Amino acid sequence: MKKLVIKLGVYSFLILISLEILVRIFYLGEDKPSRFVDEKRVEKWVPNQEGYNVTGNRNQNFIRYNINSSGFNSYQEFEPTKDGVEIALVGDSFIEGFHQPYRISIGRKVEQKFNDKIKVFEYGYSGWDMADQLHLINAYKEDFDLIDRIYIKMKFYNDLERGEYFVQKSRLNLESPVNKLLKKSKLLIYFSEIGVLDPVRNLMKDATSLVKGGTQQAKPKKSSEDELEQEKIYLENFKNLVNLYGFDKEKTVLLMDESDTAKIFLDYLDENGFQHIDFGETINNSKRKTTLVYDMHWNNYGRTLIADIIIDNLENSGVVRNN
Amino acid sequence: MLFNSLEYFIFLPIMFVLYWFVFNKKLKLQNALVLVGSYYFYGLWDWRFLFLIIASTIVDYFVGIMIHKNEDDRNRQKLWLWVSVIFNISLLGFFKYYNFFVDSFVDLFEMLGYSIKSTWTLRIILPVGISFYTFQTMSYSMDIYYKRIKPCQDFLSFATFVAFFPQLVAGPIERASNLLHQITNKRTFNYDQIVSGLKLILWGLFKKMVIADGIAPIVDDIFMNYETYPASTLILGVTLFSFQVYGDFSGYSDIAIGTSKMFGVELMSNFKFPNFSRNVAEYWQRWHISLSTWFRHYIYIPLGGSRVSQGRAIRNICIIFLVSGFWHGANWTFIFWGAFHAVAYVPVYLMGRNTIYKNNVVGENSFFPSFIEIGQLILTFGIVTFSRIFFRSESLTDSFNFIARIFTDFQFVPYEHPNGYRMLDYFILLAAFVLYEYRIRKDERNPFKFKSKVVRFVAYTVVIFTMLLFYDSGFDRSFIYFQF
Repeated sequence: MKKLVIKLGVYSFLILISLEILVRIFYLGEDKPSRFVDEKRVEKWVPNQEGYNVTGNRNQNFIRYNINSSGFNSYQEFEPTKDGVEIALVGDSFIEGFHQPYRISIGRKVEQKFNDKIKVFEYGYSGWDMADQLHLINAYKEDFDLIDRIYIKMKFYNDLERGEYFVQKSRLNLESPVNKLLKKSKLLIYFSEIGVLDPVRNLMKDATSLVKGGTQQAKPKKSSEDELEQEKIYLENFKNLVNLYGFDKEKTVLLMDESDTAKIFLDYLDENGFQHIDFGETINNSKRKTTLVYDMHWNNYGRTLIADIIIDNLENSGVVRNN
Repeated sequence: MLFNSLEYFIFLPIMFVLYWFVFNKKLKLQNALVLVGSYYFYGLWDWRFLFLIIASTIVDYFVGIMIHKNEDDRNRQKLWLWVSVIFNISLLGFFKYYNFFVDSFVDLFEMLGYSIKSTWTLRIILPVGISFYTFQTMSYSMDIYYKRIKPCQDFLSFATFVAFFPQLVAGPIERASNLLHQITNKRTFNYDQIVSGLKLILWGLFKKMVIADGIAPIVDDIFMNYETYPASTLILGVTLFSFQVYGDFSGYSDIAIGTSKMFGVELMSNFKFPNFSRNVAEYWQRWHISLSTWFRHYIYIPLGGSRVSQGRAIRNICIIFLVSGFWHGANWTFIFWGAFHAVAYVPVYLMGRNTIYKNNVVGENSFFPSFIEIGQLILTFGIVTFSRIFFRSESLTDSFNFIARIFTDFQFVPYEHPNGYRMLDYFILLAAFVLYEYRIRKDERNPFKFKSKVVRFVAYTVVIFTMLLFYDSGFDRSFIYFQF
């Protein structure tokens, strides 16, 4: 038995080392950028980092990212001016754009359309909701005051779960010393990305809930009354966020899939003069695939469609003309 | 509990440590542990069906004793044997075939012009492994009847033999003469045997997780949407299914055999590289060997086997294949699949070539197969793969439509993976797999046979690395033969 345990241990160790080397050689594990909360309590990426985002077991999607000095993934620095025309895109991972080259980002496509006469700053961060976004605009008021138009990408049913901004500790836990140490292993990152660790996580979750008293119950299906109630809560959260952090109705536009948005919210926006544009019709009716093969983020074509929608809106609003 | 689940990788080491280091003082304790572990293993799927296993165990335990008790009275022995056969076949008949018979009668009457509104079909769950353990318990009673073994007097050992978890739900279907004495005798800790078991488990997992699960989404897509695909895609689909079902089932068998080795028990080989068969007869000596052996011993030979007139021998062959098809599932597709193999086997039998490859492998004395052998391999693989259309299709109509499209819509259109993955990865994978299996074709129980320790280590690493490259967490990882 002793021989078996020793040999198993030695073989397992050597195999893990070999796998770590192979994962590094073939660049299968992505580089995880570090995050932090800045002096204005905005959670974002630590400035001036670069690396590769990898998706798929076999390195099927391999994209370089570049975090600028403002803490966002972009090819350029965000330095709004009084004289130039600057646009801001604020949103979650779809705007952050780790899944496609930043040189063909939505913002870059818009800039190219206007022959680089304007600048588009993409304030994107994975997992951001409306509270994060409005808090950012409020926290960096002096910058956003210089910006000529702001597009906030939102998803009604995901982004309005809270009516006040606070720092999300769960995301920052990823920066704990233990997690930082774990991030040093590309093999562990790879395991995590391809779902090898999912069964372990699920087992631990089940065990925790068992210890806490009983197995996890499936959430009962919501009735339409419950859903309406939930939509009302989301609407109230939106109102509260607007009251707390402000909302410049003149230059801020909500960008959303209106087919996946509650009617009471759309009605409220229309009645109260909030500008909003729909990308759902274009994206959902597209004959070509608009998302990536390995995850649900927009592919190059999807980005082009979104850029076209923004370009139309910019032209119609008179903020900028393509000539 | 699935062999390829996290639960199993927690369960197995715990069982192993308890078995060799806590309960190792007494054989009875070891057997009790294996029995409880086996019931737990099965009960995690659905504990209610444990009662069927227990009932089958009790019935055959007593039938065995009664057959032996009535040694001088052949009629009484026969009567007791019938008790076992009727009981086990009834279990199978009800849980597996009841709805099939009802539906078939309704269809028959409708064909004759009588419309019947069937209210007899029931919502029956097919208990996992029922086809395997009922055959195993029946074989025990039959072996006593044919005086091949003596009945087991120790109920605990017998129950452990029936429920032995590595092979409980999908075989290999062990004959009592091979397995029972290993359960009733003291096992000893054997380092080499355990290591050999671990290697088989690794190889079995590779076949399941990489080969079978890797190509499963492609096969599912092609068979589900066959009406929209041209012949080239359909041929690709059924060819890949051939690899899928082989990887799935032989992978399961390897894990079962490997696990048994870890407990000091040797199970029979279930697969001997069937893709390297030179005719259909050889294929059946290499594919699902435990089932073929079962049918040969308990149906074919009692019917007279080949030691009867040629006509009767052909009849016996047809019976075996039809029963084998029906064993696989309550669907006419499986019966057709069996019939197809009977039709493919009979000419080989008539040419007297059904046993000529019994004791050798392709390329026996050379590294490469001869051109004739390559032709034979391709032809046999083609026949077997063609038959899989029946095996995989949902209905006979689908099978024939699938075949019709192959012959009527013959055009080549490159196939795109349903998830957008690169197809070339899978072709390279399968080519490497076939070449590697060819290299190890002489010893199915030793997939990592390398003299150099370094090369062996590299092989383990490559296998595990490939498992990661093709791992799909979102895929249903159940085994195909669980449905039988």
